[in-house]
Amino acid sequence: MAEFAWKSRSPLAHAVEPGRAGARAGAAGVTLTEIRDFALVQVMARRGTWAETARVAQQLWGIDAPGGPKAVFGQDVTLVGSGPDQFFVLSKGSSVQDPVEPLKQAFAGIASMTDQSDGRCMISLSGPRVRDTLAKFCSLDLHDSVFPVGAAAATSVDHSAVTLWRAPNADGGSPLYNLLVFTSFADSIWHLITESAAEYGAELGYAA
Amino acid sequence: MADAVHSGRLERVDASASGASASAAASQTHRISSGGLIDRTKPLSFTFDGKAMTGFAGDTLASALVANGVKLVGRSFKYHRPRGILTAGAEEPNALVELRGGARREPNTRATMAELYDGLEAVSQNRWPSLRHDFMAVNSLASPIFVAGFYYKTFMWPAKLWEKLYEPAIRRAAGLGKASGAPDPDHYERAWTHCDVLVVGSGPAGLSAALAAGRAGARVILCEEDSALGGRLLADGGEIDGAPASDWLARAVAELESLPDVRIMRRTVTFGVYDGGTFGALERVNDNVPVPPEHQPRQRLWRIIAKRAIVAAGAHERPLVFPGNDRPGVMMASAVRTYVNRFAALPGRRVAVFTNNDDGWRTVEAIRRAGGEVVAVIDPREPTAIRGRAGGAGANVLRGVVTGVKGGVDGVSGVQVSVAGDGTREIAADCLAMSGGWNPSVGLSSYHRGRPVWRDDIAAFVPGQCPPGMVLVGSANGDFSLGICLEAGHEAGTRAAADCGASASAGRAATATDEKFSIHPLWHVKGKGKSFVDFQHDVSASDVLLAQREGFESVEHLKRYTTLGMATDQGKLSNVNGLAIMAEATGRSISDTGTTIYRPPASPVAIGAFAGPNRDEHFHAARLTPSHHWAAERGAVFVDTGLWKRAQWYPIAGETDWLQSVTREVLAVRNGVGFCDVSTLGKIDVQGKDAGTFLDRVYINTFSNLGIGKARYGLMLREDGIVMDDGTTSRLAEDHYLLTTTTAKAGPVMQHLEFCRQVLWPELDVQLTSVTDQWSQFSIAGPKTRDLLKAIVDPSEDLSNEGFPFMGVRDVTLRGGMRARLYRISFSGEIAFEIGVPARYGDALARNLMVAGEPFGVTPYGTEALGVMRIEKGHVAGPELNGTTTAADLGLGKMMSKKKDYIGRVMAGREALTALNRQVVVGLKPVDTAARLRGGAHIIPKGAVPGPTTDQGYVTSVCYSPMLKQWIGLALVERGRERHGEIVTIHDPLRAGDILAEITSPVFYDPEGVRQRG
Repeated sequence: MAEFAWKSRSPLAHAVEPGRAGARAGAAGVTLTEIRDFALVQVMARRGTWAETARVAQQLWGIDAPGGPKAVFGQDVTLVGSGPDQFFVLSKGSSVQDPVEPLKQAFAGIASMTDQSDGRCMISLSGPRVRDTLAKFCSLDLHDSVFPVGAAAATSVDHSAVTLWRAPNADGGSPLYNLLVFTSFADSIWHLITESAAEYGAELGYAA
Repeated sequence: MADAVHSGRLERVDASASGASASAAASQTHRISSGGLIDRTKPLSFTFDGKAMTGFAGDTLASALVANGVKLVGRSFKYHRPRGILTAGAEEPNALVELRGGARREPNTRATMAELYDGLEAVSQNRWPSLRHDFMAVNSLASPIFVAGFYYKTFMWPAKLWEKLYEPAIRRAAGLGKASGAPDPDHYERAWTHCDVLVVGSGPAGLSAALAAGRAGARVILCEEDSALGGRLLADGGEIDGAPASDWLARAVAELESLPDVRIMRRTVTFGVYDGGTFGALERVNDNVPVPPEHQPRQRLWRIIAKRAIVAAGAHERPLVFPGNDRPGVMMASAVRTYVNRFAALPGRRVAVFTNNDDGWRTVEAIRRAGGEVVAVIDPREPTAIRGRAGGAGANVLRGVVTGVKGGVDGVSGVQVSVAGDGTREIAADCLAMSGGWNPSVGLSSYHRGRPVWRDDIAAFVPGQCPPGMVLVGSANGDFSLGICLEAGHEAGTRAAADCGASASAGRAATATDEKFSIHPLWHVKGKGKSFVDFQHDVSASDVLLAQREGFESVEHLKRYTTLGMATDQGKLSNVNGLAIMAEATGRSISDTGTTIYRPPASPVAIGAFAGPNRDEHFHAARLTPSHHWAAERGAVFVDTGLWKRAQWYPIAGETDWLQSVTREVLAVRNGVGFCDVSTLGKIDVQGKDAGTFLDRVYINTFSNLGIGKARYGLMLREDGIVMDDGTTSRLAEDHYLLTTTTAKAGPVMQHLEFCRQVLWPELDVQLTSVTDQWSQFSIAGPKTRDLLKAIVDPSEDLSNEGFPFMGVRDVTLRGGMRARLYRISFSGEIAFEIGVPARYGDALARNLMVAGEPFGVTPYGTEALGVMRIEKGHVAGPELNGTTTAADLGLGKMMSKKKDYIGRVMAGREALTALNRQVVVGLKPVDTAARLRGGAHIIPKGAVPGPTTDQGYVTSVCYSPMLKQWIGLALVERGRERHGEIVTIHDPLRAGDILAEITSPVFYDPEGVRQRG
């Protein structure tokens, strides 16, 4: 009997039309990129084992686990706080394999883990008008003094829970924000973001 | 700048500027030849009631109408009295117009707030057939019967006329302008912004505050309702730091714009104060152009979150209440100054001024400087120092009051003055400027129920207890002198910045000489003819007095009985006069009489701005399953299930009716194999050492003894013993369960479980996370399910009854190397599996199932077919788990464990929840097999008279059963389980009428459950 091909399909496959959108004049004010190629594991410390969880994280990735709303950038992974005593492990490269498996032994009895690689869609936002765009759907204060590089938040967009963090500045020097949204909401939220960015001119795309 | 008008003289505009403006200027009979903050190089054409006119960039519609000599602009609400422009600001009650045409038509737009643009079209309201000849003005003749409480007195009887006659008639008469009735073609946005110090208003006090806070290093937002910064400085000028105020204004704005953390928001009105330092503000982004540029919103609704707020929203000048005070051409004295100085438009050539305070006298100077004639100044007070200014120029100064105004639709022609001790006098005039004093804008200070406090020396209310973190400064605080405004603003700005930790130098405050403000209150000049208190709603002084005589003495009663203060200006002009007249009539002080409660918005806000982008199909977010686009390609019909879009059925060529499609899908499953996307069911990872204990406490049945690799149906109750939700939960490992919920309750159950984990039992080692969106899951059902599965699952997997028994769960590999999780659970009553893959492969799974199943006639089915099959099997769902039913009502009482405690156990034992006559789930089969059952129909004993005493339950779920070939249903019926076989009447007065049906077991199909275990 035939083997089947398993073609992965992003929740935004239908929505993202790469290229310029909104106002056409001048350089794009906002760059919106769907990041498709990532693995995401949610690590939740068992009751009373945060210290051990952080120690294992340090051993595995050589960085401090975020003990709060922060993003910590390592060589291979970014750790993003997702709640008390828990964080996301974000790494490049998706595969059919369960990304929890390689971590199971290290965290056995210390932390619970769940694969969220398909549960979230990742959108990165940058450009000179990125904050004006975010202001239309995000209630947080993103001023440099309040939300610097490495700041993270569990917040909501259009009544849907999202994780937002600020990564090192984009190439052009503008702030760069990453957004993890629930997969099923991705289409709606992408629409909201692109509408919000339209008046500034947006460059849309995805990174495989 | 204001000072630039000093040399201005009233004459026709010099038409030589350009060819275009030559004809443009012709209509502007009342334009002053120089000065003003208008751009004479940019003439703009507009129409009012179809008549072509012109103005200049920088005009408002109101100032352009003044420049064009227009006096009559609207009709009042009740009496249809002719009305003119009264103010130059947001408080305008009379000059409301319909702006723009077609779908963009905006009724009740204040001409004083509408910036003029080329091609503007404005139409007057509330008149027929024309503004000059309004048939409904006959109402004015009947005014003796249209008094306060007219509705309550007139439409009381006969009661039966209310619905047929009175209400429709009142609705036709109500309102001023008419909405377009078409969808708004523009879009609206919402946005958030944050700051240390919010400054509301950009007059001298606000600018001074923003400068101080900004220099100190605070993050400042300055909101100004107007298109230009400056507040009263734009109209009144004056001297600051020894130079014209306009110089300081220009420097202040430039400095603010140079500060990186200062944001100036023009055309932005702050309308509300909410909790936690949150302010509502409306930015009119593109109201000043005919059509917003592409991709730009018309308006943007801001939520501003501020640590400190400095409200410098100024004050509103108060009208005087005297007979004829509503004639077109009677205008607020400060508005006259604004039109003259800011807009270079003269409201009248022969102006009389009626004032009870010093500020009104400033208008005398303004008119003179502009070349107008002041025919008289009427001031009831003993002569004060201020008189010198006008006296020196030889004005006719009279100590007295105005007792009448002559004129009609074309405006004022003269005023009648009662001179103290010297009889009455008639004075010819074409404009009457009036000033009754100033009411500080205390609205924002009062939205947290702080009551304003009366101050006798200025005869006005000043702010009482402000919301936390807010101060009022300048005239909003009752300080009317320019010097104090500058100083108080600076001090407030400095302090607010320091409170936020910004401690750089705030510099020094600008200075100006203080002018003392003096007033003698004058609340009501009695005389023949109507004296208006609330202009738009036609509430007169006599209405207030009538309300008092009829016992409506409380200000809240006064408001509702007379509609005083309920017009679009929300009492900004009328409230203080109204309650002062009430105070006089009742012999109480104004302070004891008090004010009505203040509520936002401070200025009208369109509903569209609140809705923002959430309109039409984007009213709320839509959740899509991973197979959504595959289903859409197949032409699936989608149904909204909460936020989700679910495929309801998949019509195929030749099908014309949903029932045809659904019946085909059911038969395909029952006779072959089908699959349905069930990804929308809530899925929650429950992990930790105590996961089993945790589940035992939230479910009525036990999960700690569930074997690894097994699934079990569970039911959870609310604290009150009523069923909350159901679903299957699988044990994946010793310390790992996967719990499922219904689609509708996924969110609430997650919240409930988090509450249990964090609050009720923090001692348990449990971790929860939603994995609903991680998995794309399909139910595969029907006798050929195994054939299909064998075609897609790796051949090494044992799918036999022994290798994969009913309620088994395990990870499997699919052909081609895909990882999947397989559950042997059934909702349809057929042999069935659910198969889950990571969401990004859901689309591929649907497509591959179609290929793998082709030899077996695989059929995708939707939620309708799913519903039909669950009703045939008597499985309860949302309509039965409806927040009123217990486990026993649903026939699941035996699941309630007696060996453990769980949420809802105790309360479920209450008498009423265990009563024998409760309505319980039964099946229903119409006696006439062709008859259709309807959801929501009531169940009464056969032949009984329908009514509350005979009502025994209702139909919850219905379907046409392809297996039974008739309509069947589930119902909640009193003592239903004892009544199987009984014939009852199904009472449906709204639709099909009554039919007879037999009460049956809820399980219509395969009651032994042989098929699903096969």
